[in-house]
Order: sequence, then structure tokens, then C-alpha cells
Amino acid sequence: MISVSPKTILDSTTKIDLNNMSAEQKALDIKNLDLYYGDKQALQDITMSIPKGQVTAFIGPSGCGKSTLLRCINRMNDLVDHCRIEGEINLHGENIYNKHVDVAALRRKVGMVFQRPNPFPKSIYENVVYGLRIMGENNRRVLDEAVETALKSAALWNEVKDRLHDSALGLSGGQQQRLVIARAIAIKPEVLLLDEPTSALDPISTLTIEELINDLKKQFTVVIVTHNMQQAARVSDQTAFMYMGELIEYSDTNTLFTTPVKKKTEDYITGRYG
Amino acid sequence: MDNMNIGRHISGQFNEDLERVINHVMQMGGLVEKQLSDALTSVCDANEDLAKKVLKSDESINELEVSIDDECTRIIAKRQPAAGDLRLIMAIVKTIADLERIGDEAQKIAQVALESLTKDHKELLLNLDNLGRRVLEYLQLTLDAFTRMDVDSAIKAHKTDDKIDREYEALMRQLMTYMMEDPRSIPQIMSVIWSARALERIGDRCQNICEYIIYFVKGKVVRHSSPE
Amino acid sequence: MNKWFKSGSPWIWLSAGGVSLSLISVLGLLWLIASRGLSYFWPAQVHQFELMDNQGNASTVIGEIYDRESIPSQQLVHLNLDLDPSEETVERLLIKTGNRELVSLDFRWILVPEITQQSTPEKLVVVERRTNGNFYGFIEAVIQDGKSVSIDTLPSLLTRVLELQDKIETLQKVEIGAINYQLERLRLRERKHKLQETLTLDRAQDIANEVAILQAKYQVLEKRLLALRDETARDQIKLRAMDDQIVTVSFADILKVTNNNQMNSFEKLMMFFSQIAVFVSDDPREANTEGGVFPAIFGTVLMVLLMTVIVSPMGVIAAIYLHEYAGNNALTKLLRIAVINLAGVPSIVYGVFGLGFFVYMVGGSLDQIFYPETLPSPTFGTPGVMWSAITLAILTLPVVIVSTEEGLSRIPAAMRHGSLALGATKVETLWRIILPIASPAIMTGIILAIARAAGEVAPLMLVGVVKMAPNLPLDGNFPFLHLDRKFMHLGFHIYDVGFQSPNVEAARPLVYATALLLVTIIISLNMTAVSIRNKLREKYRMLEH
Repeated sequence: MISVSPKTILDSTTKIDLNNMSAEQKALDIKNLDLYYGDKQALQDITMSIPKGQVTAFIGPSGCGKSTLLRCINRMNDLVDHCRIEGEINLHGENIYNKHVDVAALRRKVGMVFQRPNPFPKSIYENVVYGLRIMGENNRRVLDEAVETALKSAALWNEVKDRLHDSALGLSGGQQQRLVIARAIAIKPEVLLLDEPTSALDPISTLTIEELINDLKKQFTVVIVTHNMQQAARVSDQTAFMYMGELIEYSDTNTLFTTPVKKKTEDYITGRYG
Repeated sequence: MDNMNIGRHISGQFNEDLERVINHVMQMGGLVEKQLSDALTSVCDANEDLAKKVLKSDESINELEVSIDDECTRIIAKRQPAAGDLRLIMAIVKTIADLERIGDEAQKIAQVALESLTKDHKELLLNLDNLGRRVLEYLQLTLDAFTRMDVDSAIKAHKTDDKIDREYEALMRQLMTYMMEDPRSIPQIMSVIWSARALERIGDRCQNICEYIIYFVKGKVVRHSSPE
Repeated sequence: MNKWFKSGSPWIWLSAGGVSLSLISVLGLLWLIASRGLSYFWPAQVHQFELMDNQGNASTVIGEIYDRESIPSQQLVHLNLDLDPSEETVERLLIKTGNRELVSLDFRWILVPEITQQSTPEKLVVVERRTNGNFYGFIEAVIQDGKSVSIDTLPSLLTRVLELQDKIETLQKVEIGAINYQLERLRLRERKHKLQETLTLDRAQDIANEVAILQAKYQVLEKRLLALRDETARDQIKLRAMDDQIVTVSFADILKVTNNNQMNSFEKLMMFFSQIAVFVSDDPREANTEGGVFPAIFGTVLMVLLMTVIVSPMGVIAAIYLHEYAGNNALTKLLRIAVINLAGVPSIVYGVFGLGFFVYMVGGSLDQIFYPETLPSPTFGTPGVMWSAITLAILTLPVVIVSTEEGLSRIPAAMRHGSLALGATKVETLWRIILPIASPAIMTGIILAIARAAGEVAPLMLVGVVKMAPNLPLDGNFPFLHLDRKFMHLGFHIYDVGFQSPNVEAARPLVYATALLLVTIIISLNMTAVSIRNKLREKYRMLEH
């Protein structure tokens, strides 16, 4: 007789203790991160570990610093003038803000997809292979294969396989966003950052992207910032609630959306005055 | 009401919706309470008119249940409540189901009143009435806790159920003795047993409602375990 | 009325009026220069006028009617003409009589009242000549090799001579030109060695040998040339002018003999087009007042293209630096203001700068360093096509910088971020994403630069344009593109022909024709650039977010 406890039937995903993860379970380890724009402090003492192979969502009101935190992970904040960062973000145990870190190489490991679909004004094919070409890959066969794999992973292959050399700008918004995701995963990053990836899309395209995110976590660690709480609830395994530059609550999504611990979290996710 | 934080939603419409549902639940609770108390009175006083009224009042309770159910479904569809709001709606949906069952049980008790009981069983009815008053008190306590969403009173009420169970068992033993002494009275005693059984069930339902209150406020499932 | 104002329609009318006004002025301008310019090519009727002046002297005038005007009778009182007193004005005609060797002026005013008879005799011919302009008259005889032959042989004789002339021209320009060029280079080599004191006996001998070979070749060619020249002078034509003088014209001098009065419309049309073809493909003759303007077209286009090649990379690089790399500080702002103000500097100032800085300073130094053997005659230390192109490049630089920067700033940050997030460096992003997307804006800048540069004449007069350049800046002699040469320019050609020529009357239609040509060339240069830009735009069209 096989005995299966009801607990394992109900909880298909193995729960991870966020406060006490082993090194292999961690994809990213953020420690005491402070960020200043000029004199203004935008992030205050953020400490959290992002588990590997799972979807972690950042939620919070506008200006709470969730996008800023996401941009810290692949150092996109470097592009902002007067931006100063203290603390560390560890990827494979190495602080990405160390002086000798090659930012371009970091960004190849930590891909990013932005709010609005931003395909380059090139063909679909050239969009997908852009990152590979940057890395110096020009072998036609390798590129062809990469395009097919990436587009299949991004659930776009069937829609565009007959017009790979048409302009990417002819695709619909949702297709463009999936193309941008394909472009990001074509260089096989370890972590994929999604900055409000569906905020410019219609509900059906949004669902396709959400479905895609669910598939992506099998291969990548996904970190997503979203304004849409229901989306965070639907797609993520972990959710972090941020408010005024602080990390208020960080726990597994099921708990956070049913029984949050902090009152601020409760107020935010139930739509109450702060 | 304050414990529920209902009034602080950014959406005023949401506030109103929630308030309306809660008011309807209270109204339903009031009806059920009245129904139970009427049922008990009708049994003790052998008041057939009152018993018929009880049977009739069940219809309006059923209607209320359906409409509250509807409202909750609408709120879930439109507002996608989360956390406390979600727990509140879940608690309400479950509570009204239990209230409706309590109403049904009260109906059963009222039915006993319609069967002719001789003066000999007056003593029996007295015992039943005792149990009934206790259960009614329990229901009042529970509804009160629900109104205020007060965990402490809910936990306190939750414990009352044990007492009721014990009293029910005592009554059963007593009825058993009667049956053994006078087998001819078995049919009458059986109807008393049915009533007692209904009262015991009502107690269980009240316990459930208390558990929902605790779930809503604390976010913890206390079913099948001790509330502490 | 108030309601009408509120409805906004007066503003629509006002703006429509503005648009139509500009449209009308552009079309009017084009129509004017086109009609005046193109009429120059249309074969005109040749008239014969019999005149009788008030002293009773009869005379004959043959020529094309060039212009007509009315003048007040009062002006003519001193001539004691027998005029109708009721007429306040008298009409007079300007006749192009040609035959410059017979009369001092090949234009003549005649008063309409003096005309007793006017006809267009079919036998009248127009002979277009290499010197002395057109000849109007009657063919008396055609002389082949000293003997008189039938007039019908004229076309075949003319064809033969024209073929010979072609040969002579090729011989002169290509073969003899090449030998002269090589001789000049040998001379310079010798001088260079002398200056550097490396002229050994062997070398001197080598050079002398080569010179001797070239000289021998030259002798042969010269002989051939003289023979050809003699050949062309074999036949003559005898013509009778309006005053019955007989003039003998050598075939060597004749370009074309036409019988305008016998032509039908179709023949005239064919003639019209062949005249245009000659105009755009031939060299000028007679102090630019006759012949074609090919060297000027060539010079204009070459200079503009050179300018484009110089200004585009400079402007784009400057704009990229300003927009991408320079910090957003006061110095950058100052630079930007300076660039914009540079566009407002009068063009002649650039000419002075070009002459002072490029020609004398830079060119002078280049000569000292690289071409000491030619001194004191300068190579680059004198105005030339390269300095012109560079001066105009500086002149148009602000336009390219401003529009490129505009284009760069219009590119959404999302494009940059998208590329950077894929692990591209800033330079890779610039090359692969930013510049291609900005290319339509860069093209816009180049279009504006071309439009400005092609029409600019004033600075060029200081830094490279001449009235008459002996050689094109591009030819078959190594290194093919001679950046040090002076060149001809259509804009300057207009000025020269219209205001500096000895015969202003004759040159006027030429001014219009050249102006039309200049406009056509600028428009076609622009259209090419515009079509390239539109293609790029289509390719890099941003989605309307």
C-alpha cells in the first residue's frame, strides 16, 4: 500500500523557507541594499534571497522602488546619473557591484524585458539573434537553431515561423512582447527580469504572457515587477511587497495573498487607504 | 464592525457592497434566531399556530441565503478580493450555509410541536426546553461574535459546544431510560430525540460559524483542531 | 460674422492662402526660368526686313526677332521720323543679326514704322560657327577641294568634317593631354630630385630618356593633328550676307547649318532637344556665351558630392559626441549654441575663412611639405575643388549636426535599454541600433546640406571656382581625381555669363537656361537623397506608441 499524505497532494510545489535557503537554492542574494538618486534614498536596506527556478514577484504602489530594485539586479541603474548604490547583490556568491565585474557579461546572465515591447526595427530573425551576434556568433546554423529554440520557448514559433524575415514591427503588441522575451532568452540567461511586461497589453495577450512565464520558470529564474496584484498572485511563487523603498513583506504567494502578516501589505492588497 | 476594516477601501462601492452583505447576514442571523426561539416555544407550549409560522418563516431565510450567495459571487467576480476581504467573503458564504441548516433544524423542532404530546411527557419537554434555551443562547453568542468579529467571544462560544454535547448525552440517556420503562411512549420519545438531535446539530453549526470567525480574523484554520 | 470667426474658418482660409501664395511663387519662378531658358533652344524663324529710313535710304536686315518693346514717340523726335502723331508709342524690334565679323554689334534695333517689307525666305540658312557666332545668309556655293559642287553635298561634307573634329578633340585632350601630363610629372620629378639633391646622373639620364620617348610620341601625334587640321580646312562654303557681301567660311569652323524657315514643327522639336543635349554635354565657347555648360555641371555635382562625403561623417560624429558622450553641462550647452549660431554666419565669411585658413595656411603648408618641387607655383596653396568642398562642408556642418542630434534624441530610450539589457556595450548599441534608426534624420541633415551647398556661390569665388577651367577635376590621368584643380560651377557661370560677358544681350537666355539647369540639378540631388531617406524611414519606422 502506498501511503500518500493529503498534504503532499494539495501542495504540489515544494515549499522553500525563504529565510533559510541553502546556497544552491539561491539564485540571487540581496544584502543590505541602499540606493540613492542624488540625495533621495530610493531603496532602504533591502535584504532578500531570490530562489532559483521560481517566479518571484515584486508588488507595491507606484514609486515604491520595485522597478528600481529590479534594475539593480542587472545594473541598468548605472545608466541613471547621480545614482549611488550601497550593499550587495550576489550572483553565484559574487557581488555584481564589484569593480571588476563586466557589466555587459552580467547583463547576458541577467536578461531583462521592459514594460513596453521594444523590438528593434529589424526582422524577427535579427531581433532574436541580436544578443548572439553581439557575442560574436555568426554561424548561420547555430543562429537558425537558436531562433527556433528561443521562439518555441517564447510560444511564438508557430505564429511567426513563416515570416521570420519580416519586420518585427508588424507583429501585434502581445507578439512583440513575446518576441522580446524570446530575444532575451536566446542568449540563455540565468535570471530573467520582467518589468511590468504586460502593462501595455490587452487581457488576452496578458494571459498568454502569464502562461509563458509559467513555462519559463522551468529553465530560468524569473523576477517580475507588476502593478497587477492578481497577476502577481497568478504567476508567482514568491511575492515581495515593497512600500516607500522598503521591503515590507516577502513570503510565498499563497500566504501573502490570503493571510499577509503586515497590516501595510493587507491594506495594499485589499485596496485600502495606506 | 470595526474589526473588519470594511470602511477603509479606496473603492466606496466595494465598502457598500460588503456592508450590505454583512447586514444581510445579520438579518438572516436574526431570522434564524427568532425561528429557533419560536420553534422552542411552540414545542413547549404545544402551540400549533406558532409552529406553522416557524415552518413558513423558513422560506424567507432560504431566499435570503440565495441572495447573499449571489452577492458574494458578484463581489468575487468583480472585486477579486484578497487577504482579509477574501477570508470575509469565504466566511460569509460558509456561515450562511450553516445558518440555513440551523433554520432547517429549527423547522424539524417545530414539526415536533405539531405531533400531539400528552401531558405525561411534560417533563421530557422541560428537559428539551432546557437544552433548547442553552443552544439558543449559544446561537445568540455566536451571532454576537460574528457581528463584532470578535475572536475572543468566538473562542468562548466555541467552547460552549462541549457543554451542549454533554447535556445532549445526558438527555439521551434520560430518554433511553424512559423508553425502557415505558415502551408505549417510544414514538413520542423518538420525536423528542429528533428534536434533541436537531438541537445538538445546531450547536455543531454554531461551532462552525465560530471557526469561520476565527479564520477570518486570524487567518488560521481551526477546524478539526482546538481553537487555541 | 462673429460666429464665422469662432468657427475657425478664417484661419483655415488664411493658412490655405499662405500655402497657395508660396506654391504660386515657386511655380511662377520655375515657369519664368523654364520659359525664358527653354526658348533659347527653340529654332527661331529667320526674317528678312526691307527698311526705308526717313532720308529714303533702303537697307536689308536679316536675323531672328529677339525682343520687342514700345517706346514713347517723344524719344524719337530727334530722328525726324515721319510718324503718325496720334500714336504715342512706337514699336521697335531687337534683331539678332549675327555675322559678327561684318558688323560691330550682332544685335540691332529697328523701328516698326521703317519696315517696308518683311519675309521669311526659305533659302535663308543659319550657320553655327566655332568663332564669331551665328551667320545668317544665303548659300552661294559649296567648294570641295577648290572646286564648286552642288549644295546637296553639304550635309555629307559637314558630317565628314565633324567626324574629323571629334578625332582632333580626342587626340588633343586624351592622348596629347596625357603626354603633357606625363612630361609635367617628369619635370616635377627632376626638380624634386634636384631639391633633395638626389639627382644622380643615372636618374637624370633616365628622365631625359623618358622625356625623349614622350617627345617622340608627341611629334607623331602633333603631325597627325596637323594633318587632321588640314583635312578639315579642305572645304569651304560661300555665303551671302544681308548686305550682299560674300563671306567664305571654312568647314573647319562650322558646327551646324540649319534651314530654320523650312523646318516643320517636328523637325523643330528634334532640333530643340538636340540643342538641349549639346548644351548639357558640350564645352563652352566664345567666353562662355555659346556652347554648353558641361564642365560647370560636372564641377557643381562633383563639388557637392565631395562636400557630402566630408560633411556627413564629421557632422554625425560631432552629433554623436554631443548627444551620447558629452555630459549634460554648461559647456555642452555652449557648444550647442555655438553650432546653431554657426549656421547663421554669412556664407562669404566662410569663403574668407576658407581662403585664409585652408588655402593659404593649410594648403601653403601642404605645398611646402609634399610638393616643394612645383613651387613657386602652388598645388594646394591655391583655390581648388577640395578647398571648396571643405569650406562648404564647414558651412553646412551645423545643419547636419542639428538634425542628427534631433534624430538621436527622438529614439526612444527603450531601444537603447533593450540593446544594453542584451549585453551590448554602448558602442555596439550605437552601431547596431541607434545609428540605423537615426539614419533618416542624418539623411535629412544631408539633404539640407546639399540644398544649401549646391546653391552657394559667394564663398566658392574665393576658394576654387573659376570662369573657365582648362581641365575637369576628374580625368583619365593618374590619380584620376585631381582635388587641387580649380573647377567651374553653374552658379558662378550664371553670374559670369549674365554680368561679366562682353555681349550681355546674347547671354541673357543663357542665364535663364543655366539657372533652370542649376535648379534641376539641385532638385534631382535632393530628390535622390529624399528617396533614400524615405526608404530608410520605411525600414526603421517606429511603431506609433
